[in-house]
Amino acid sequence: MAMLEIRSVSKFFGGLAANSDVSFSMDAGMIMGLIGPNGAGKTTLFNCITGYYPPSKGDVIFKGTRLNGLQPDHVCRLGMVRTWQKVRPLAKMSVVDNVMVGALVRTSSLRVAREVAHEQLKIVRMDARLDFLAGGLPIGERKKLEIARALATKPEMLLLDEVMGGLNTGEKEEIIQLILDLKKRGFTQVVIEHDMKAIMRVSDRIVVLNSGEKLTEGTPREVADDPEVIAAYLGERVEG
Amino acid sequence: MTTLPRVLGRARPPSLASAPEDRPSLASAPEGGPRGVAILPIVLFLAAAIVLLAFPSFVSKPYVLHMGVMLFLAVIQGQAWNVIGGYTGQYSVGHAAYFGVGAYVTMMLLEISKIPPWWGIWAAMAASLVLSAIIGSITFRLRGPYFVLASISVAEIIRLAALHFKGFTRGAEGFLLSEIPTLHLFGSEIVFVGKRPFYYAGLALAVATIAANWAVQHSKLGYYFQAIREDQDAAHSLGINLSLYKNVALAISAAFTAFAGGFYAMFVKFIDPNIVFGLDVSVQIVLIAIIGGIGTILGPVIGAMVLVPLSEILRNPRGLVQIGVLAPDSSVVGFIEQYLSNAHLLVYGILVVVVILFAPEGVLGVIRRLLARSRRRAAARAAGAPASA
Amino acid sequence: MTVFLQSVLSGILVGGVYALIGIGLTIIFGVMRVINFAHGELLMLGMYATWYVFTKTGVDPYVALLATVPLLFLWGAFLQQAFINRVLNALPQNQILLTIGLGLIMSNSMMLAFTSDYRILTTSYSSSSFDVLGLSVSQPLLYSFLITAAITAALFWFLQSTDTGQAIRATAQDRDAAQLMGINVSWTSILSFGIGSALAGAAGALIAPTYYIYPQVGGAFTLKAFVIVVLGGMGSIVGATLGGLIIGVTESLSAIYVASGLKELVVFVLFLGLLLFKPSGLLGKSRA
Repeated sequence: MAMLEIRSVSKFFGGLAANSDVSFSMDAGMIMGLIGPNGAGKTTLFNCITGYYPPSKGDVIFKGTRLNGLQPDHVCRLGMVRTWQKVRPLAKMSVVDNVMVGALVRTSSLRVAREVAHEQLKIVRMDARLDFLAGGLPIGERKKLEIARALATKPEMLLLDEVMGGLNTGEKEEIIQLILDLKKRGFTQVVIEHDMKAIMRVSDRIVVLNSGEKLTEGTPREVADDPEVIAAYLGERVEG
Repeated sequence: MTTLPRVLGRARPPSLASAPEDRPSLASAPEGGPRGVAILPIVLFLAAAIVLLAFPSFVSKPYVLHMGVMLFLAVIQGQAWNVIGGYTGQYSVGHAAYFGVGAYVTMMLLEISKIPPWWGIWAAMAASLVLSAIIGSITFRLRGPYFVLASISVAEIIRLAALHFKGFTRGAEGFLLSEIPTLHLFGSEIVFVGKRPFYYAGLALAVATIAANWAVQHSKLGYYFQAIREDQDAAHSLGINLSLYKNVALAISAAFTAFAGGFYAMFVKFIDPNIVFGLDVSVQIVLIAIIGGIGTILGPVIGAMVLVPLSEILRNPRGLVQIGVLAPDSSVVGFIEQYLSNAHLLVYGILVVVVILFAPEGVLGVIRRLLARSRRRAAARAAGAPASA
Repeated sequence: MTVFLQSVLSGILVGGVYALIGIGLTIIFGVMRVINFAHGELLMLGMYATWYVFTKTGVDPYVALLATVPLLFLWGAFLQQAFINRVLNALPQNQILLTIGLGLIMSNSMMLAFTSDYRILTTSYSSSSFDVLGLSVSQPLLYSFLITAAITAALFWFLQSTDTGQAIRATAQDRDAAQLMGINVSWTSILSFGIGSALAGAAGALIAPTYYIYPQVGGAFTLKAFVIVVLGGMGSIVGATLGGLIIGVTESLSAIYVASGLKELVVFVLFLGLLLFKPSGLLGKSRA
């Protein structure tokens, strides 16, 4: 059974299709890259999968459960968690408290939650920052905090939305290693990323979205050689 | 001119020269985010409670005790609002609904059904819980200013209904308390006459409210409430059921507010819809927390300590004569009585404007800032470097 | 049927003044994104100014508009410059609290100055009325409605056809863009708060002959103004005009057909329903 199955998902806003007829399926333990130019509907797809809004059409099946219409908190309890492209630290809470909030979905004990939080923060190498206010962290650490907080909810599946955006090379490398480590530990991951080199390195397969539609899907090699993908991306390269 | 940077550079090591704002700031310990259990605040809290317990034995002037009761009441109100407004970030400006329901249920059970208030007040809390579930299910679907407007509207609907359905509530005529029965507690008799019994009851309730609030904040609930305040969408993605936890926060808040309402009705002995359901009540409840500093246990206590004495003195300056602060013929008394006693809310207005403009984090925020500054100065002095802001 | 028509008619007459109150609030919200909780207090000041002028000099309240409107304009401009301006980027709840505080200061100052006694302003025509087709039309209500209509028309002309008016509308549409286009946004803000305040003051002057005048009278009008503005869609002037009329008629119909003591309650219940099911207002686009 597939871990996650996206079946012909469409999302309309008014008359505008942010996603139309997107399908893919992924097995446990794999990393799916999700790429596409700005406005291709990547984040919309995340929102549809994690319950921020129901898909207008199609189904999202996670571990055999149909997610359509479930609220994000429910999705999280089922074992799927996302991070945010525009990071959302709980600004006036400390780093460790941020991660504890994530951990508390599996326990009611603050002591247990704190242990989990310390553990996760060690994994992202932020254990020296425990008592700092989350709102005051530099961007690189905020991104890592997002990941630690998500991991604290004890998910099976992670949806990472541009966790490398705005980071320098060293920080990116750190995140790449982290993603690969998580894969080794058995996490299933969907990764949205703009950095082509990074996405090619981490992904097992890649789905390319363009204007809300799935352009193609394949191994990193196949996708990189696809003339349509190159065309879609050349368009963007010229601008940026 | 070229020498200046070098001089500065020598005075401050390069590592410090990179502006301190770049460095992440430390979370302010025990209240911002509860980590571990700090002993000192608990000790201070218990010490304060003991001093207040002994207080009437030394000062028994009714005016002072009256002010004490009003202070306790304000503390309860402020703490209660803080749960939903301060921690959870949902600015209800309709708490008069719960306060009034608490007052009316307690009063009506006593006056009509002869049920003593120490039982009636639990019924009042139960009623407020039901009400909060209804109000929550309506208002929590809205965010921001719309939530504020909805919370006000609900309270106004209840006030207007209480004014109109005279058969049930006696309308604007209100209720005048005849007599509180004698309470038999542990073999002793407590007669609710004078200020003293109310002082002790109020103190006990205030302490209980603070303790309950503290316990909530140092639990999963407290973390979830703050997460909702900081970012609803992020909280949602981390498995927090937003509507459930907002409603829980409102229920806790409503229950304590109703408790305060019932206690108030017994203490002042007269209620009518405008007195307990009015928009003024809702606003005053918010101000207690705002002026002190929202989202902290200490904030509403400080807010109450600032607001209550001010408004009580303005309401009844003769009290100052009674306790010997002012001479009976003092012109201050005359001035206040003549001009200010009808307008004690003026002080609330001025205070809130000043706080919002100059100290949006409340009095507690100002105190913290000053403490932090002096600590930094001391640290800088210890390091042998000149203090820098 | 006559009862129905009569109550619709008086609803419309009162609704005109409500529209004026709503337009003031909506302009302030549109330009500054600040919800003015002191709006009713501005109206209250208008009432007192009118009453004061009338009792001291005997000048007709509708003539006194010529004094009260500029007065309230200046007062509003001052409030904007001295207070509101400082919280434009603050949290919405802080803005709300600030205006609540200003409202408390205004109402309690009036209490200091004039006590909390109810004042009545009685003109020679306060209780006279015309008979039109079997319906009675209260003279003061008719006059105030006509003046309201004139003020509203003038305002529409001002906003549509003058440079300043267009600057206000542009700022309301997009503050940052307006600034980039070279519009003096802070001046526009002062002007808008002044106009909003003047409209509230004018409404106060217009209802002074038919309402009790007391320091706390504003609160009820603030709430009513919100209902009107949300009804019409926050920031929409046409919406506020319509909203005012609708609320006026709703009140007057529910006073007859539900119970006179419940007319405001009915309005609030409708308001809640609206907030829940169509928070963008009757004229607003519904949000996803």
